[in-house]
Amino acid sequence: MRISDTIAYLVTRRRGAMWMAIGALTAASLVVLVTRMRLDTEVLNLLPKGFESVEGLKVYNRDFAQVRELTFALRCAPEDADKLEEFAPLFAQRLREQPWCTRVLAGAPIETPDGIRDLQSIALPLLLNLEPQAFDQTIAILEPTRIRDRLHRLHQEIEAGSPRPEMELSLDPLGVIGPALKPFAENASIQEEQPLASSDRTMRVFLVVTNQPTIGAFDCQRLMEKVKAFRQTATAGWEGGKLEVLVTGRSAYVAEISLSMRHDIVITLLGSILLVGGVFYAGFRRWLPLLGMGFSLLLCCLIALAAGLLIFGELNMVTVGFCAILIGLGVDFAILVFGRYQQTRDDGLNYEEAVRDAVSNLGRAIFFGALTTAVGFLALLLARSGGFTQLGVLIAIGISFAGVLMLTVFFLFLPRRAPLFRHDWIFSTVKSYVSWTVRNPTPMLWIATPLLLALTALALSPRPRLLFDVSTHSMEPKSSDAGYALQTIMAKMPTRWEPVIGIVRAQNPQELHDAWQKIAAHWSELQAAGKIKSFSTPAALALSPARLTSNRLRLQAIDFNAARQALQTSLVSEGFSPATFAPAFTLLDQLQRAPDPAAPIPDWRTQLAPSSSWWFLVDRYFAHDPLLTTGFVTTNAPVETQDQKQMLRNELPVAEIPMSLSGWSFTLTDLVPWSRHQLIFISTLMAIFDASLLAFLYRDWRLWLIQLATLALAIGAMIASMKLLHIPLNLLNVLAFRLVLAIGVDYGIYVLLVWQRATKLEHDVAGVVKPVLLAGLTAICGFGSLGFANNPTLSGLGVACAIGLSWSLAATLFFTLPAAAAVEPKIWREEEVSSRRSS
Amino acid sequence: MSKVLLAGVALLLTCAFASAEPLAPAELKTLLARIREKRSAAPQVQASFQEEKNIHLLNKPISSSGKVWFQAPNKFRREVMGNSPSVTVGDGQQLWIYYPNFKSAEHYSLGKRSPLDAGIAALTAGLNLENVESTYHLSASQKEKGYVLDLAPRNPSMKRFLQSFKVELNDSLQVERTEMRQPNGNRIVTVYSNETRAPIPSATFEFTPPAGTEITTPLGR
Repeated sequence: MRISDTIAYLVTRRRGAMWMAIGALTAASLVVLVTRMRLDTEVLNLLPKGFESVEGLKVYNRDFAQVRELTFALRCAPEDADKLEEFAPLFAQRLREQPWCTRVLAGAPIETPDGIRDLQSIALPLLLNLEPQAFDQTIAILEPTRIRDRLHRLHQEIEAGSPRPEMELSLDPLGVIGPALKPFAENASIQEEQPLASSDRTMRVFLVVTNQPTIGAFDCQRLMEKVKAFRQTATAGWEGGKLEVLVTGRSAYVAEISLSMRHDIVITLLGSILLVGGVFYAGFRRWLPLLGMGFSLLLCCLIALAAGLLIFGELNMVTVGFCAILIGLGVDFAILVFGRYQQTRDDGLNYEEAVRDAVSNLGRAIFFGALTTAVGFLALLLARSGGFTQLGVLIAIGISFAGVLMLTVFFLFLPRRAPLFRHDWIFSTVKSYVSWTVRNPTPMLWIATPLLLALTALALSPRPRLLFDVSTHSMEPKSSDAGYALQTIMAKMPTRWEPVIGIVRAQNPQELHDAWQKIAAHWSELQAAGKIKSFSTPAALALSPARLTSNRLRLQAIDFNAARQALQTSLVSEGFSPATFAPAFTLLDQLQRAPDPAAPIPDWRTQLAPSSSWWFLVDRYFAHDPLLTTGFVTTNAPVETQDQKQMLRNELPVAEIPMSLSGWSFTLTDLVPWSRHQLIFISTLMAIFDASLLAFLYRDWRLWLIQLATLALAIGAMIASMKLLHIPLNLLNVLAFRLVLAIGVDYGIYVLLVWQRATKLEHDVAGVVKPVLLAGLTAICGFGSLGFANNPTLSGLGVACAIGLSWSLAATLFFTLPAAAAVEPKIWREEEVSSRRSS
Repeated sequence: MSKVLLAGVALLLTCAFASAEPLAPAELKTLLARIREKRSAAPQVQASFQEEKNIHLLNKPISSSGKVWFQAPNKFRREVMGNSPSVTVGDGQQLWIYYPNFKSAEHYSLGKRSPLDAGIAALTAGLNLENVESTYHLSASQKEKGYVLDLAPRNPSMKRFLQSFKVELNDSLQVERTEMRQPNGNRIVTVYSNETRAPIPSATFEFTPPAGTEITTPLGR
């Protein structure tokens, strides 16, 4: 028994069994969905795997405390700048009082008494960590004569009116803290390039570390709800004009993205259903087939989602767009099948015969259509991007099931008694066009070919350029508050560009120390050579156990009693206030105890209060695991070119120290070759697959050439349109080209396969061109509905695909068909359909 | 006897009130306009000074004397004589403090909204009363032969450096005495004399460290 006979038998005589199978499949899918649904909101999972820079970004996002950092900004009108300066401490205090806030940075820590006290508290381990020569020079300050000379000079400088002694004595009354903190201060200098107030004083920035339990989507949403409530009341007491409270940071983005996922699912799915349903109804004016199509497509989505969850364990945000794509693609099969079925019924065949005929005649085309589309989407696996791998697999599964369900389940919804089409203006128009172009293909070819060739020439021309956007902005959600806040802050503040980060993981503290000492020395040479602008490392805070031990022993040579005596007498003789020097005596006591092996050296991490603002600096360098660290390199210009990236990749690493280079700009630049590889190599592979399949299908070199020319011209027109409409390619929407190749080829397959076998042109060719037209429109609507998504990746992909498919459809109708008619002419014979209908 | 004593106290109080009578807003406005007019006629000033500083770091006050030159809007030179001499020169963008005894100089960049800017603004406020009302909350009183201006900083960056500032002017609106109080407890009283408004050579406000001077930048910029 042929497959078409089996299907016809099942849908007409075993309907109960069919419904039971559908029920079981639906129930199983729902169980999987309800019990296993997990969403992955990590935008980095959209980037390809296997790149050191991408993995570095993931490590930085996952393991460093900065992921829990929110940036608040207050912006006022220029005339309120003084009021803002006065209001800022109040706002900072309100932030500190929030239960979700761990600490706040509202100004340079060194300018506050707490900040100075914190620095004094970590001075001892940092002093003992100095390199031997610097340590010897520093502790030489404790010689009695040096103590006396220093205080005498400070007194004279005060008399002379210098502000320096007061600054120095408030931080370092003994004179050894300054040298101890020097390496740390050098690291802190990079912060000076990112001030917390704009130069025109109309913006103040506050950095806040939150205590959210995880960085998952739901915790971010809960946090941002609280932040939103805080923003409502945070400006109470402000007496100036408009005061804007801006918030950005990872949590703000994750909350927005995860919430927009819901929006994207609803808007793209509804948009797709409405547009696709509208096109289907306009084409056939039938409700039951529309219902059947909708049911079958939703079942495909359900099965594919369940299969995706079983395979991957969770679904990435980009996969939420798959339902809209699947509906746009799967409806093609429904349109083709129903078009043929209806035509056969109109020809007078009964329900079972019409089902058999539709399956028999279109099964092959649908099989190959599903195959090319599935392969096209499975080619996303070559992108090595977690999100797009999921998308590809889900659509491949979904489209395969769509092919099967449209040839089986769909028929269950078709009425056994089908009324005839009375007035089908779409078919009439299509028939007129097909009739005209088949009888005389030359005029259409004279119109279509030059136009498509001109667009292809424009696509190949170096001008205008096709925009290729690799900026971080291309990855931001559309209409994002967090994005707006970031842009506003960036515009107002004289910030440097985003640095390149070097991640180093060590096995033990000594290895970490040695690694950063070598890296800092090497980067210092690069800076001196002008290859980088500046850098900062955790070298000062990466303590060396060996150095601590040797420096503690060196302290045994110091006569602390003499030092203490000299300090006391100098204070009296110079007339200094003893209260100012209390920390100096405390530090002397600590230093005197330090050589004792039984007295542990306090860990600076435990000495810094949790609320200390210095943590903002420390957390930049150290992950939760203190052996995982980063250094930052500010380049001479933003990293945008491959030469810059390659130079950094060659120059920054140090021999025998494993280091991962990353940072957003660096990573996106790093991914440009991958993206171009996706665009050129994978699309070429797809084209070769298509070409081979078409050669096998047609076995006619003329039709094969026509189809290849159609694909090339459609892609050319797609690129030209993107150039003219200034639609940029980004790292991810380059994947659209292979999808257009995979889907667009189907239209040609449907038309040319039928053309090859057609004996009655009006019946066969016009009968398939109308469904192809409708299928193309629905696919364009399906992808076009993704344009409404907030997710830029999804939106960009949808728009690019919609443009490409529009040209594929146009090229099929206005080039493929007349070209086939020109090379393989067939005689048009008007048939008496109406007489048959009346019979 | 007690009546005589009471009458004496009453007389003293009357004199005291008479010597520090608060100015009405309109009078203050007029006074400021007069000051502005005088400053605009001759935007430069030079004077000798005697200063006493009570620094919270030190148990005893420090006395010094010297000369100061000022030219609106922000150029100044201050030379301290005595055992601990120094030369301070500012041109609005840079500040040099030179210590001849140590052959060393400190170099600071101004205009970056550092606490130093507030300090310099306070230091020259007595000589530069131009637009003083925009930077300070202002009140004034009239004394026997002149006026007393009480200045309280408006913005927080200034408040961090300066608590209050009192300027005493004579009848000719020349600065006679200033008293600065800082939040850390420092109190600086400066008495000016020999004020003239003769033109000042521009070289006065330029400074080049002598050869062999050790230069430091305490704020790192």
